[in-house]
Amino acid sequence: MDLRHLLFTLALVCANDSLSASDDLLRWPQISKCRSPELETFSCYWTDGNFYNLTAPGRIQLLYMKRNDEDWKECPDYITAGENSCYFNTSYTSIWIPYCVKLANKDEVFDEKCFSVDEIVLPDPPVHLNWTLLNTSQTGIHGDIQVRWDPPPTADVQKGWITLEYELQYKEVNETKWKELEPRISTMVPLYSLKMGRDYEIRVRSRQRTSEKFGEFSEILYVSFSQAGIEFVHCAEEIEFPWFLVVIFGACGLAVTVILILLSKQPRLKMLIFPPVPVPKIKGIDPDLLKKGKLDEVNSILASHDNYKTQLYNDDLWVEFIELDIEDPDEKNRVSDTDRLLSEDHLKSHSCLGAKDDDSGRASCCEPDIPETDFSASDTCDAISDVDQFKKVTEKEEDLLCLDRKDNDESLPSLANTDTQRVLMNTQSENSQLWPPFADSIDSASPSVHTQLSNQNSLANTDFYAQVSDITPAGSVVLSPGQKSKVGRAQCEGCAEQNFTMDNTYFCEADVKKCIAVTSHEEDEPYVQEQSCTEDAYFTTESLTTTGVNFGASTAETPSSEIPVPDYTSIHIVHSPQGLVLNATALPVPDKEFNMSCGYVSADQLNKIMP
Amino acid sequence: SRTKTQSTEQCLLLVVLLVSNMLLTKEGVTSLPICPNGSVNCQVSLGELFDRAVKLSHYIHFLSSEIFNEFDERYAQGRGFITKAVNGCHTSSLTTPEDKEQAQQIHHEDLLNLILGVLRSWNDPLIHLASEVQRIKEAPDTILWKAVEIEEQNKRLLEGMEKIVGRVHPGEIGNDAYSQWEGLPSLQLADEDSRLFAFYNLLHCLRRDSHKIDNYLKLLKCRLIHDSNC
Repeated sequence: MDLRHLLFTLALVCANDSLSASDDLLRWPQISKCRSPELETFSCYWTDGNFYNLTAPGRIQLLYMKRNDEDWKECPDYITAGENSCYFNTSYTSIWIPYCVKLANKDEVFDEKCFSVDEIVLPDPPVHLNWTLLNTSQTGIHGDIQVRWDPPPTADVQKGWITLEYELQYKEVNETKWKELEPRISTMVPLYSLKMGRDYEIRVRSRQRTSEKFGEFSEILYVSFSQAGIEFVHCAEEIEFPWFLVVIFGACGLAVTVILILLSKQPRLKMLIFPPVPVPKIKGIDPDLLKKGKLDEVNSILASHDNYKTQLYNDDLWVEFIELDIEDPDEKNRVSDTDRLLSEDHLKSHSCLGAKDDDSGRASCCEPDIPETDFSASDTCDAISDVDQFKKVTEKEEDLLCLDRKDNDESLPSLANTDTQRVLMNTQSENSQLWPPFADSIDSASPSVHTQLSNQNSLANTDFYAQVSDITPAGSVVLSPGQKSKVGRAQCEGCAEQNFTMDNTYFCEADVKKCIAVTSHEEDEPYVQEQSCTEDAYFTTESLTTTGVNFGASTAETPSSEIPVPDYTSIHIVHSPQGLVLNATALPVPDKEFNMSCGYVSADQLNKIMP
Repeated sequence: SRTKTQSTEQCLLLVVLLVSNMLLTKEGVTSLPICPNGSVNCQVSLGELFDRAVKLSHYIHFLSSEIFNEFDERYAQGRGFITKAVNGCHTSSLTTPEDKEQAQQIHHEDLLNLILGVLRSWNDPLIHLASEVQRIKEAPDTILWKAVEIEEQNKRLLEGMEKIVGRVHPGEIGNDAYSQWEGLPSLQLADEDSRLFAFYNLLHCLRRDSHKIDNYLKLLKCRLIHDSNC
């Protein structure tokens, strides 16, 4: 549609042009301008149009009316200002009085205009332009001149009736564009630095001082130095400022400076101009290690840092942040937490040690090689170094659960010195091989694990959260049901190298015995890491008994479901930061042989037991 | 007795000198006093005062032209104000010279008084202009600023003119003839078109009158200070 409109208008314009060219169209007379040159008289000019040729030739008149008049009067002078003009001399002119003029014949009015004389002032051009040489430069190439002129003769500047300002324009003879100077009141102007070898043209025009419009230009003044007989030097070529060279040299200099700064040994200067981009860093760990995936070495480095230990434990955490998972009774009939946990972990086998795609936003902070886990405490990279320990630790736990996935040579042992209060029940009822780091074939253990789980699913009706099963990195203690035995983490894996002389550790007698037994059986078990039973291990009676039984007999035995679970609900000793010792409430102990209800022995007692 | 006569003669001489001095100074008031009583700037010449006055009047006329042009551009387009602007200004009642001959024939004291009359007549309208123009919807800052500036400069010019008149014609303050301005209600009309036309008219009159005052002052300056040879 727009194109059509455009074409239509083009057609109209063409038609108009052709018609106007052929003089068929009537053009009306118009007042072209009214002008006062000196604020004493004024004249109005109009255009005829083609009126006379077409219609009855009535005489065109210009009528005027002052504000106080009642009637239109005719123009007093049609001649003085030329053809199609009307001249009002001083007697007819009043300044600051509104006039209206109209162009009409007897019948109709063609045009009308209203104004006051002070608004239509357009002075005549200045006269008597001349120039004088002021001085020449030492080289003789440039010179200064002074241009003078007289105000227009009609304007009465001397009496101060009208004030004029002038604008000078000049150019070289063969140029096309005029250079302008600022309007000024004085009638003389210096022009500086004109080239002596060239000729110039100068012209001046004037206007009333507070008006905007200028009058006509004066006659052109020709400035030619050769005619004046002045000595000058011909310059064949002009030397223009070598902008090109300036740019080149400037770029080179800048480049040289930058290179010097880069190469300089001054670190401060370098830092100032090229500040280093911060990368995530862990104290004491070479990022290359992480990149290459050599977690063993990293783990060793992390494990050997004692200071991480102290940072992990705050005094308050144990008391404040004990999370209890209080569930609906209905849910208990369904899958218990442990099972869920275990099954989930099994499902998560693919993403055990790989980098997790965490949406927590911390992925941007850390290198992707470092596997991420749910850290509620660490939202910044700063905390990562501290909680790397936990990461590694929990990774190990999960890894253990991915039994069908990996050999656990590298995975488990780093727990030794980390003192995490994580308590995963590792004891498996049946298989001694379920002590994973010891086990040769963990793969074989996994099916039994599953069977164990399934068995225990049916058995478990109630979840007694009486056992500290995990410690989150935030320091929260996660309690878990007691009788569930968790697959995976073997307590005191490093039984062969246990250091029982450490203080403040409480071991189950059965555990110790077990360790001893283990030591005797499997001495040649390879250990990647030094392990010690410095972890506080909390076992339920049941697990221990089953363990003990298993150890002794090495026969698979399904755990009896009738064995009641002791409720560890009262805090016996708060032994921070290593842990709590929970007292077992009195329970009927079915068998005598289980009377050693996991008495927690101290290290001294342990020494007595140990051979 | 000789000392007595001497002293008497000396006294008499002193008295004669004093009396003659008094008499002489009493009759010697032919020229204008440079510092009439009560004047603060004793050292400013009349020529300097006129220079300042002309500068101020030129500046006021310059501002008036600009504010009128801006107002015309912004509010008057398409409203046909121009054809209606033959209305009189409130200062038309003051008979001022309307061309060069009349201006040359009038006595400079009368002309000065007329100038004072016009300036006083504009005192009130300018104050109201500065305040009412701010009520115009979306008035540009330049218009607002100029209205305030014109009002200030007009006051200063009035003071300067009174000083000049005191110098040129001491003792006569001149008649307090000035024309009252009744146009305030028209600036406060509810109808926007009418109100804008009232502003247009007022600014048109202001431009005209400021040009008049500027011209008269330049004429007077050339006549009095430069002896008609500017």
